[in-house]
Amino acid sequence: MAALALRELASRKLRAALTALAIMLGVAMVAGTFMLKASVDKAFDDIFAEASAGIDVTVKPASAFDAGIDLPESGATLPQSLVGKIAGVDGVAKAAGAIGDSTSIAILDSNGDRIGPPGGGSPQIAASVEPEPFSPFTWVEGSAPSSPSEVGIDSITAGEEGWHVGQEVTISGVRGVKHYTLSGIGRFGSGVPLGGASFALFTLPEAQAITGKVGELDNIDVEAADGVTPDELAARLNRVLPKDAEAKTGAEDAAQQSVDIKEGFGFLTTFLLVFAGISVFVGAFLIFNTFSITVAQRTREFGMLRTLGVSSRQVLATVIVEALILGIIASLLGIVAGLGFVELVTGAFKAMGFELPQSGIVIDGGAIVVPLIVGVVATLGSAVVPAIRATRVTPLEALRDEGRTAEAPTRRRVWTARVLIAAGIAALAAGLFATASFGSALPLLGLGLIFLFIGIAMLAGTLVRPLASLVGRPIERVRGVTGRLARENTLRNASRTATTSAALMIGVALVVFAAVFAASATKSVGDALDETFAGDLIIASTDGSSPISPDVARQVAGVDGIGAVSPLTGAPAEVELATTKLELVDGLDTATLTKVAKIDWVEGDDATLTGLGSDQAIVESQWADDNDVAVGDRITLKTVTGEEVPVTVEGSIRDRVQLLVSSLALPIETVRQRFDARQDFAALVGFAPGADPAAVRGRVDRLLARRFPQVEARDQQQFEQQQEDLINQLLALIYVLLALSVLVSLFGVVNTLVLSIYERTREIGMLRAIGASKSQIRRMIRYESLITAMIGALIGAVVGLAIAIAAVEALEDEGLVLGVPILGIIVVLIAAAIAGVIAGAWPARRAAKIEVMEALQYE
Amino acid sequence: MTDDGAATAVEAGAAAGIVSCRELSRRFGEGDAAVDALRGVTLAFPKGQLTAIVGPSGSGKSTLMHLLAGLDRPTGGQAWIDGVEVTALDDKGLTALRREKLGFIFQFFNLVPVLDAAENVELPLKIAGRDVDPAWRDRLLATVGLTNRTTHRPAELSGGEQQRVSVARALITRPAVVFADEPTGNLDSKSGTGILELLRTSVDEFGQTVVIVTHDPKVAAVADRVIVLADGRVAADRRVSGEDDVIALMRDL
Repeated sequence: MAALALRELASRKLRAALTALAIMLGVAMVAGTFMLKASVDKAFDDIFAEASAGIDVTVKPASAFDAGIDLPESGATLPQSLVGKIAGVDGVAKAAGAIGDSTSIAILDSNGDRIGPPGGGSPQIAASVEPEPFSPFTWVEGSAPSSPSEVGIDSITAGEEGWHVGQEVTISGVRGVKHYTLSGIGRFGSGVPLGGASFALFTLPEAQAITGKVGELDNIDVEAADGVTPDELAARLNRVLPKDAEAKTGAEDAAQQSVDIKEGFGFLTTFLLVFAGISVFVGAFLIFNTFSITVAQRTREFGMLRTLGVSSRQVLATVIVEALILGIIASLLGIVAGLGFVELVTGAFKAMGFELPQSGIVIDGGAIVVPLIVGVVATLGSAVVPAIRATRVTPLEALRDEGRTAEAPTRRRVWTARVLIAAGIAALAAGLFATASFGSALPLLGLGLIFLFIGIAMLAGTLVRPLASLVGRPIERVRGVTGRLARENTLRNASRTATTSAALMIGVALVVFAAVFAASATKSVGDALDETFAGDLIIASTDGSSPISPDVARQVAGVDGIGAVSPLTGAPAEVELATTKLELVDGLDTATLTKVAKIDWVEGDDATLTGLGSDQAIVESQWADDNDVAVGDRITLKTVTGEEVPVTVEGSIRDRVQLLVSSLALPIETVRQRFDARQDFAALVGFAPGADPAAVRGRVDRLLARRFPQVEARDQQQFEQQQEDLINQLLALIYVLLALSVLVSLFGVVNTLVLSIYERTREIGMLRAIGASKSQIRRMIRYESLITAMIGALIGAVVGLAIAIAAVEALEDEGLVLGVPILGIIVVLIAAAIAGVIAGAWPARRAAKIEVMEALQYE
Repeated sequence: MTDDGAATAVEAGAAAGIVSCRELSRRFGEGDAAVDALRGVTLAFPKGQLTAIVGPSGSGKSTLMHLLAGLDRPTGGQAWIDGVEVTALDDKGLTALRREKLGFIFQFFNLVPVLDAAENVELPLKIAGRDVDPAWRDRLLATVGLTNRTTHRPAELSGGEQQRVSVARALITRPAVVFADEPTGNLDSKSGTGILELLRTSVDEFGQTVVIVTHDPKVAAVADRVIVLADGRVAADRRVSGEDDVIALMRDL
């Protein structure tokens, strides 16, 4: 029977190819994600291993907790005096202090713009040149910087910018712009790609100056004397080091840094796997539909086989083996196509300003085994129901002329669908409303969506008629009989149309969900700004997310016509409540904030803020409610260096979108000094009364362009626009990934059309015989495709909108308000219609080739 | 019904008929494997006659019909319908020809299952973008005896009823000629007789020209004229009277 399955596949190459393509895309996404992860992981391992190659032990500020990627980097440093103390420890051959700072500088091109892709997500690192054997750099051109006016640049960056030794390079640090002479170009390690990161190398004093760390060090590297192992030396150092410093072996430190950053990229893997899962799920719909149709078409064949004595188990086996072979071939092709997916994602990230470091694509076992299992299981799982249906064919059915007609949905089917929808909604609701974190909600949301989509797909059969009328009637009015035939054809086998369109429904639902959610997020930020912001300008980094130097606020405050400048900062801290929680503690400028912001006080008033003492805090009311914190409470905060800071809660404000306060806020001086917040997030600016706004704005813009080109002033509207752009950028990436699953569902439309045209060969021949032209036949099929696509798109839009409304409702506490992008949804529907017509084009051409003769002869 | 000219149609030459052909031949395949399905057939079918093309399977009768109706292309010769040279038309021209001058009746009815009986009858006009003449449609439906079943879909009709719908469909455009390919082949004898009576009526009442292709002498018996094909050539061509006459004619060959 396996031979029969192979024959079947071989004889229907086209159908097999289309079906395989559907599985292939999903599998390619799974495989590509694993490849990408392995490649990025290896690249980071290489980078950090090479960075620490010459370092036996490194001493860094101790960290009491791991702040993770969501919170700002700690600005804690070591005192320079510690170098001498370390050098004196027995077993130390050499010790040198170093600066390595990824948040303080911007390397500028000749136009004064930050180098690298616009939107710049890749770090630019200010580092001191270390003595041998610590330095990972080899000078391939020129030499290391030896004076405060010289800089060295890594070879990859220099190559990309076309820079040469001797030319001028401009770099903006915490004190503003400075011009340097390029003294040398250094190769990092063996020349491993740095994933878009750039290094500017300075003498140690200049590195300290440009990062605002005069007399301070980010780390101290140590070489062990002969006969002392790094482990032994690290242990010895830790016995003598102060509490806020910590020694680790170079290898250990490299591994730790690599693990941290890989964890940071872990979200990417999850993110991509979610979309891969969607594509596989959509592919499964297609496989189910294809096998259902072909089993129905082969009823006579199965009946004939049964009369020859083939058992129902053997019939089951032929279908299952066919699915198995298809699944394996498609999955293997998908794994190869995974390489293409890696390129797609890398390209998309590059377009967004993030370069993923890669030193060649790594294909590990996981990138082969997992996608193979996923592809084969999805194919087999989807073919099981049709296969079981094939076993129910009786020998008698071999004698019937017509293939089995569509069965009306049974009561059991309707009830199963209702139960699935109810379970899906319940799981979604639980995921949205009853879970504490996104991580724990994700599986529930995924399961809920799967149940919901399958349930709706099962019920969609009953929706096909009204929706086909809705879409088909206007076509019929314009196009007459071809429109009418197209509409009736989609109703011929409503459950087949339903399953086909349900695949597209999933993609459209998710696109609409993302669009609505993004519009809501944008609207929420806008609404909150309208309520809170009372100033004239918001100063932040050009890319919108990097921190800015505190010097920016200071210098802007000196501009003529400025009334108030209120910087905002923050630092990670552990808050000891019922459980210990890691939070962002915001730093507010108590003297100026009330001049540029309207604060929505729950308890207290503006005087509470202006009078806030260094050990006093205000809380965000929602956060306070969630954590049982009340005004008057005394709370202990722990800084990243382990220092304990007790504070008293003095007031409570409502700030749901966390513009100013996410959990609790302290005076900015406290956060800078005790929590080591070296950089600001942004600064709010208010003009002096009576000043000419345009003139003041011009002066601020000129100052920033001259001193801090990586920083920009925006008015409220521009700021909102930029926030919207950032959200839309992410949305675009999501659309690209969803487009792949939509593509899969379009293959489904093509496949269903081709199969149903095959069934209708004689009828189409007859239509030609009674005078239908080729273009009428083509039009009929294209409209059929259009109607099928629109049924899916309309149901999808409604489902997506419903889920988005529920999600926004669930996040109401976070300040999310609903925004419905009606124009965007219309665009999605039009796009679906166009996609439907395109999907129908090729089947339409095939149908038009059917000759009249076939109406007479075809059996 | 009697028309003395009909018997001499062949002598009158190809140009005399509303459907005609000259030296039509069709060869399938090439070289040693080539099969000559039709070897130079010249015929004319005058207006308002019911002609049956009969012959055993492989005689070339279906091939002849396909060529006359423009469904297949000859390897030699020409065919005309109502003054149009069928064998010279491209796909567009053939589509126009089918819309204006041809009606088909198939063995397997070939109705559109998603349309009801009346819609199926009107379909050729709708496809051609022409207006339906309600009086003519109703007269046809009455003639085929389906006035009360117009809103039924094919699946709700018996085989005989379905074939009646397809007869009405073939006649709705008042075509120059109706080709019927084994129109009773898929029907029981009672329904088959009904269809033959209908075709006869269409010739007698509406002056329709009808060409039936069949292997069944009973079918051929209703014709004004029977053309017997054998081995790709016309073996006999004459007026007949009754089934026995046809059987005798076929047996003689």
